[in-house]
Amino acid sequence: MTDVDLLDIRRGSIVAPAGCGKTQLIVDALSNAKAPLPYLILTHTNAGVAALRHRLNRQGVGRSAYRVATIDGWCMRLAALFPMRSGYSDGLQPKTPSYPKIQKAARKLLEEGHLRDILPANYAGLVVDEYQDCSVGQHAIVYFASRHLKTCVLGDPMQSIFGFGQNQLADWEGDVCRHFPTAVELDRPWRWINAGNEPLGRWLLDARQELMAGRPIDLRTAPNSVKWSVLQGGNGNFDALVDAARVHHRAAGETSLVIGDSRSASSRYRVAKRIPNMVTIEPVHLKDLVSYAMALDLGDGYSVGETLEFAESVMTNVGATDVMSRVKTLKAGSGRKPPTDFEFIVMQVLDAPSYQGLAAILSACSARSGTTVFRPSVLRAALRALELTSDGSGMTFGEAAVRVREENRTVGRQLPKSAIGSTLLLKGLEADHVVVLNADELDARNLYVAMTRGAKSVTICAQGAILNGQTEYKGASS
Amino acid sequence: MRVRKLSIQNFRGISHLEWQPSDGINCLVGPGDSGKSTIIDALDWCLGARRTLPVSDADFFALDVDDPIVVECVLGDLDDGLKNLDAYGAFLRGLTDEGDLEDEPGNGLETVLVLRLQIENDLAGQWQLVSPRAEDLGQARGLSWSDRVSVAPTRIGTFANQHLGWQRGSILNLLANERADASAQLAEAGRQARKSFGDSAGEQLAETLGIVDEAADELGVGVGEEARAMLDAHSLNFSGGTIALHDGNGVPLRKLGMGSSRLLIAGLQRRIAERSSIALVDEVEIGLEPHRISKFLTALGSKQAEPPMQVFMSTHSPVVLRELKSPQLGLVRAGQNHSVMPAGHTDDVQATLRSAPEGFLGLHVLICEGATEVGLLRGLDLYLSDCNRPTFQAAGGVVVDGGGVSRVYRKALPFSELLYHAAVLRDDDVQPDAADEQRFEDRAGTVFKWTVGWAFEEELFDCLSDDGIENMWEFLIGVRREEKLVEHLRNVKNGSVDIDTLLSDPDDDDRALLAKAAKKGSWLKRIDIMEEAAHRVVGPDLVNMKDDFTDVIGSVYEWAGVDYD
Repeated sequence: MTDVDLLDIRRGSIVAPAGCGKTQLIVDALSNAKAPLPYLILTHTNAGVAALRHRLNRQGVGRSAYRVATIDGWCMRLAALFPMRSGYSDGLQPKTPSYPKIQKAARKLLEEGHLRDILPANYAGLVVDEYQDCSVGQHAIVYFASRHLKTCVLGDPMQSIFGFGQNQLADWEGDVCRHFPTAVELDRPWRWINAGNEPLGRWLLDARQELMAGRPIDLRTAPNSVKWSVLQGGNGNFDALVDAARVHHRAAGETSLVIGDSRSASSRYRVAKRIPNMVTIEPVHLKDLVSYAMALDLGDGYSVGETLEFAESVMTNVGATDVMSRVKTLKAGSGRKPPTDFEFIVMQVLDAPSYQGLAAILSACSARSGTTVFRPSVLRAALRALELTSDGSGMTFGEAAVRVREENRTVGRQLPKSAIGSTLLLKGLEADHVVVLNADELDARNLYVAMTRGAKSVTICAQGAILNGQTEYKGASS
Repeated sequence: MRVRKLSIQNFRGISHLEWQPSDGINCLVGPGDSGKSTIIDALDWCLGARRTLPVSDADFFALDVDDPIVVECVLGDLDDGLKNLDAYGAFLRGLTDEGDLEDEPGNGLETVLVLRLQIENDLAGQWQLVSPRAEDLGQARGLSWSDRVSVAPTRIGTFANQHLGWQRGSILNLLANERADASAQLAEAGRQARKSFGDSAGEQLAETLGIVDEAADELGVGVGEEARAMLDAHSLNFSGGTIALHDGNGVPLRKLGMGSSRLLIAGLQRRIAERSSIALVDEVEIGLEPHRISKFLTALGSKQAEPPMQVFMSTHSPVVLRELKSPQLGLVRAGQNHSVMPAGHTDDVQATLRSAPEGFLGLHVLICEGATEVGLLRGLDLYLSDCNRPTFQAAGGVVVDGGGVSRVYRKALPFSELLYHAAVLRDDDVQPDAADEQRFEDRAGTVFKWTVGWAFEEELFDCLSDDGIENMWEFLIGVRREEKLVEHLRNVKNGSVDIDTLLSDPDDDDRALLAKAAKKGSWLKRIDIMEEAAHRVVGPDLVNMKDDFTDVIGSVYEWAGVDYD
């Protein structure tokens, strides 16, 4: 391990390329912390908070040594505690939190020095993880907090892929390094060393340097564990992509990630549908579920049809239209074949629609032979929301779906054996094997993030061996 | 931690009080029943780590239990734990330099907590932190128990013995982070004791045991073979206070004199000032000889520029006052609203504190021009007391030696400025600074003086009856050599003097001669001599003296509220 103690850093940054033991560095520092007060560890997402907590717990770091929160969550708490100084009046549980407003309020509080004695009385220091994902506003908040707390920020400008739309990220060289001078750059590729595959780790570090400098990388110089899958006919060659995505695990318990088209969730679903046991990684907003739940009305006669359509979006072989017409026939008494168990359930629920009934349809549907659920996390969330709606809590289905979505935000994502997603969705996750389906279209940073997800092997689908790293990457939405 | 502000409502004799104490020593001074101990008790009740309070109806102002008792402390210089956002975030407040509270902490403000004790007519104390925005959020809480223990003041009461063992609330528990875990050994010792005690009581109590056996047998109550007298396991109860401090010879320190144990505890408190930074001391002087008072105060940090702790104490002792600096003094003033006036830090107040500390302890402070008047008042008091009549002293009057006409107002003005009921008694042969006297009178000070142009001796010898004059001479030659007095007379007259003729039926000239010689020869300018003269001669002669003298004396006594005629 690098012999830097990040807690000794008064004000500085640690550049941490992927897989170089950044989280372990935090864990080690905290387990040796001797301060009477806890360190405040900030990161960006609730999932990140959960993952860090889990890691710290697992390594036996005492709860009194740290507090973990998201930057926005911490800001909201401060702003709500001191409404007069911060000018923030929405309280701790706003219906729809306005993060720009919260950040502005927290910034005012910190910039004007109202917490100058209170912060040092609460925290021994501040550590901000994934700093490359900090917006300009969040960077200002951390900067003003660092006037009162010793502060170390960790991140990797090469993994900064969140900047799009309104979310302007702090510039690493211009903003971050000016306020938090680089203390150390981690350079031991632990993820690959631990996987017995150090050459791949070293090659990725070199590739990072090249990509950062705007130079192309050559797949032919890569070690054996990097496989170049030549795409003939470009991305239109869908069968070739599916073939590449079919990773054969060499040993039980191995995992793989497939990085698909960022711009098209449906193209990723198409790949997943073709490969048994491959599931999708879903964005936290669970849009499909929420809009299904919001639109559903038990009394309008469409609820069963809508439920079957929803089922079709998360599993294979539903045949929603066929089921509906078959049930119509059966109800008219003109079916020659008797109804199957599944059709029987559907008919019952059609007669007396209920949330429990809809849940039964979804369960029965997923249990049919020949059906595989490729978006299990969405199905699980739907079943949980239906359960919440029918257990007398008084929530509508729409409210329950939102509740489930918010609950899921705070749980760390569990990595399935074989999953597909985009760079944005898979960032921070790692597996034994990674397949990059559309390497030609990725910009330097997305390419770097994509390639570094695999510890044992990296498969890259590209037309040529030279990858430039597109200067402009339009794969903004996940 | 420091108490920045204290407010009290409806507690015992105090209807209303607001006070901003100082950082270090706050020595409360005031006449009896002015509320000194009420203030110390209020702090103790509000800040102490107690779950219940010994409240009775009599603790409510004017016994009106429907008006709740409210004690509010604004706590500053907070430890980190008290600024904890998780616990107290919504309760942290800001205090300006001027002592104004703001709802939230802020830049340039001190971060404070407001702790309120409220006692309603159910007589149960409620401790709550006060914060309007927390109330808006629907949050209510007090300090956590462990924080209450850590802010709890150390009370060095009259009996401080509770601090000399390891029982709950003892200062010994705060000295270091260690605990004697004696429970196992003690339980074992208890078993051993029971064993070795055995049946040894059985013989001494044989008759009683016999009766018990008989009765039990008769009623069919099973006591086994026979009843036995053994050590009761429950009486061997080893709880907190089982372990106590002992000296080298095994004598418990509890047996130390009251003063010694108080002194020791003050010294220990000093060592834990960082953790337990507030001490409450009732009647500092109790049990302490004057030289130990100084040690005691030093142990509490009285001499340090950066006070190590905040101390609230009361005293009735001039010795204590002399050891203090004037900013360490708070003068308790009763009235519609109680108040505590800081004595301030001007040189005059400091000088008066050194030279006339007893003045600060009186209800009525009479600053006399010199030793003669001091002696006069004391002697007259002795005479009145002989006659079982009310005295100046008993009415709370204190006589202060002004040290001569040129200095009398330097001493008197501080008292009038600190709102004492103050008066000056002076000669009129030499005038003090008129502006000073005017300032004194503007601040409600009263001036008593003898007939225009006259000194005390002139007034005295003018007004004594004939017998009085003779008695005075008899007294004087008893305390001074007669030849010397005669010589004084001769020098003044510039010729021979026949004492017998002078004293028999003295006319105005004879009286003037005596007065002049007395003045020149300083016959009465010693407190002890004048005291005796007033006690033995002036007092008994008062009824026969001329009004010019007795009117002045009468008005001084009446000024102090003494029924005098």
